[in-house]
Amino acid sequence: MILRSTRARRAVMGLAVGAAAVSLALTGCSSSGDGGSGGGKGGSADTLVVYTGQAGDYQINFNPYSPTKIGGLGAIYESLFFVTNVNTNEPKPLLGTEYAWNEDGTQLDITLRDGVTWTDGEAFDADDVVFTFQLLLDNPALNTMGFGGDVSKVDATHVTLTFDEPAFVQGPELLGKVFIVPEHIWKDIDPTTDVMAEPIGTGPYVLGEFKAQAFTLTANEDYWDGAPAVKAVRYLSLSGNTAGVDALKAGTIDWQTGPVPDIQNVSKNYPGYDQITIGQNQMALLTCSSADLGCEGPQTDPAVRKAIYYALDRGQVNSLAFQNTASDMSPTFALLPAQEQFISSDIEEKTVPDAPDLDKVDELLTGAGYAKGSDGVYAKDGEPLSLTIEVVTGWTDYITAIDTMSQQLKAAGINVTAAQSSWNEWTDKKSKGTYELAIDSLGQGVSSDPYYLYNNFFSTANTAKVGEAAPVNVARFSDPAVDDALAVLKSTNPDDTAARQEQFDIIQDAIVEDMPYIPILTGGTTSEFNSADFTGWPTEDDLYAFPAIWASPDNVEIFKALKPAGE
Amino acid sequence: MNYYVRKLGFYLVALWAALTLNFLIPRLLPGNPVDILLAKLQQRGGTVNAETRQAYTLLLGGDDSQPLLVQYGSYLVNTFKGDLGVSVTYFPAPVTEVIATSLPWTIMLIGIATVLSFIIGVSLGAFVGWKPGTWLDSLVPATTLLAAVPYFWLALILVYFLASTLGLFPSQGGYDVVLTPGWNMEFIGSAVYYGFLPALTIVIASLGGWLLGMRNMMVSTLSEDYVLTAQAKGLSDAKILRGYAARNAVLPSIAGFAISLGFVVSGSVVTEQVFSYPGIGSKLLSAVTNNDYALMQGLFLFITLAVLGANLVVDMFYGLIDPRTRARS
Repeated sequence: MILRSTRARRAVMGLAVGAAAVSLALTGCSSSGDGGSGGGKGGSADTLVVYTGQAGDYQINFNPYSPTKIGGLGAIYESLFFVTNVNTNEPKPLLGTEYAWNEDGTQLDITLRDGVTWTDGEAFDADDVVFTFQLLLDNPALNTMGFGGDVSKVDATHVTLTFDEPAFVQGPELLGKVFIVPEHIWKDIDPTTDVMAEPIGTGPYVLGEFKAQAFTLTANEDYWDGAPAVKAVRYLSLSGNTAGVDALKAGTIDWQTGPVPDIQNVSKNYPGYDQITIGQNQMALLTCSSADLGCEGPQTDPAVRKAIYYALDRGQVNSLAFQNTASDMSPTFALLPAQEQFISSDIEEKTVPDAPDLDKVDELLTGAGYAKGSDGVYAKDGEPLSLTIEVVTGWTDYITAIDTMSQQLKAAGINVTAAQSSWNEWTDKKSKGTYELAIDSLGQGVSSDPYYLYNNFFSTANTAKVGEAAPVNVARFSDPAVDDALAVLKSTNPDDTAARQEQFDIIQDAIVEDMPYIPILTGGTTSEFNSADFTGWPTEDDLYAFPAIWASPDNVEIFKALKPAGE
Repeated sequence: MNYYVRKLGFYLVALWAALTLNFLIPRLLPGNPVDILLAKLQQRGGTVNAETRQAYTLLLGGDDSQPLLVQYGSYLVNTFKGDLGVSVTYFPAPVTEVIATSLPWTIMLIGIATVLSFIIGVSLGAFVGWKPGTWLDSLVPATTLLAAVPYFWLALILVYFLASTLGLFPSQGGYDVVLTPGWNMEFIGSAVYYGFLPALTIVIASLGGWLLGMRNMMVSTLSEDYVLTAQAKGLSDAKILRGYAARNAVLPSIAGFAISLGFVVSGSVVTEQVFSYPGIGSKLLSAVTNNDYALMQGLFLFITLAVLGANLVVDMFYGLIDPRTRARS
């Protein structure tokens, strides 16, 4: 049970949370009957009940800069623009209305919305924006995006950010993930430890009632864009995935993100509900790849990594482990299909092979000095080729995937065993580099641009020697050519696609050649939602926000777009 | 007097040892809070890079740079000052606050369940022991079987039948979330309703131990001469059962009961997990999975104090009612 709840938090496989817009359990039994009239039960028909995978009590914390915040991003506090990594649309104006970069990316001019008020009645203006950015500069503990520029007010509706060096790539984060806070309240508090029990923001919702097992956001009737149609959003705490599925079955939640049994038939098994699966997590076997940085084991040889890559039967893995919810993947780690245009034309295999290619495996391993022994396993200098994959106990889909893959690899002449350990131990091994292979997924950056993934997982700046904690690049991949290309990308205007593509080509050639992360498939994040009582959910054709309840501020865009059925 | 001084001295040493283990054991866990927090953020779609790591290390206080001995010293001093530190999991809430919100739930649920299972177990045990060799003896294997079944399985079976299939009880939670916690009938009623099923599973699972112990004591007490005398005097069976046999047979069980009350505070991790009950057990679990040293230490401290306290009370109590204990030691 424990492990399941941990697993539920893993966005990776779409485990997340789901939500369904429903009325509470209490009203659940009667809702189908007379939900439409809505008169009797005081607005429960426009209350959306969501489950974010929260296991255990909520501890109040609506400080948008706290790592333990429980909500409010986008709903209570708004950013300047809405930026999502699920589509390539332009940022959607919220508190900002326009922005413009200067030629070399060292100055960002932002125009702010006029006539917005905080929910305590004070007027919002450029001073609040300046205060918020200054807050990040003054408190390194809050500055999780590494904002290093200067901020200045031009007039009441214009602010300017300036940087010492080109900062194009920071744009989406600065515009979309810095949540503007009211100066008149925040100037008197300690922003690192205050939990903002009575949050004041500009957003479409205000905090209604808070209790340890549930809290409610209620509509801000004075919202600058008009009050949202969903009048209340109730967040529940349950015990994990299984409890989420039970609640879905009982109709007590309206939206949750996470796998359910028999995903393909959600609308049949849960009448009134629908599901959407969005692939965003590129699953890979992480390898401790760099012998120079201290990695040990046969996987430090690129030929071994590529042999594993060619030995997998991904179709079988998908059907046995992932209910066929995983989708195609590119060995360049450009997310398919959204980032297909970024794939280098030099790459011959645009997508990972579906079926194993044992001749290729043999060619690669023989070339690296391995020979097949009488037991059918490759060996070098008398040492059979044998590897261990680290996985977290209870991550059942990954464990099934590993079981499947180890049989496929065995047939190809490579011995692979799974080592299950606790979440803590697994995280420790990964970040310290004391592993051979580990299964995980590579997440996307702030917007739909492969730069962020490359910078996080393939840059020397994000890695460390074995024994020291690496922030993100746990494969310990380090290539000066890739670092240079990332530096060029950083100072290239995102609109100059040709110049950027040149650098992407360099990076993609290097990572496909070296393969520090062995691509498997793109994992889907499945959400189940109540389409009978609420309309306006994202669809694959109109993917205006990432439809996972734990994804904020994307979820708030969905709250705003939903309409109770029958209105 | 000497007896009490020695006892107290012993408990002080035990307390120190417990505090020291309390400090060391969490630090033997692999990983550290910042990395685990980052891994979680990353897997919930957050962007994590070197700057993020640096920011959170600053925020959560990277005191792992201090030597262990210095940390130990300040830990002991702070503990005696009642300052248990700040929880990383529930940052920035202090540990004392986290414990204060969950302790009442655990004490009520596990406390009431323990008292109920003791009363029911001992009464049944007295009754079964009164008539050894009859069909009533089959209650002993029946209840010990229930105690031997893995607890989580029993709990899940009951949830399946009573909550999911029959819908008699809610399957999870501590109270109906539409209510506001407070001392009013509606809320208390809801808490009792939600607590019934978890309490029932605890009672069923722990009944067997009390019943078996009591039944065996009864059987041996019944062969005592004073019971024979009472029967010879023509006292009624009910009076012998209550006044002569059960009253003497229950003594060892009472000592066991006092000690088991000490364990009430530690709650039941499994119960609280199965029913997502908002108590100490679920807090302990999240502390362990997040490498939240301060919260773990705080919880272990409370549990240690409760168990030591219960033992101390039993020791003192025995010294008082049984002079032989004092004389021999």
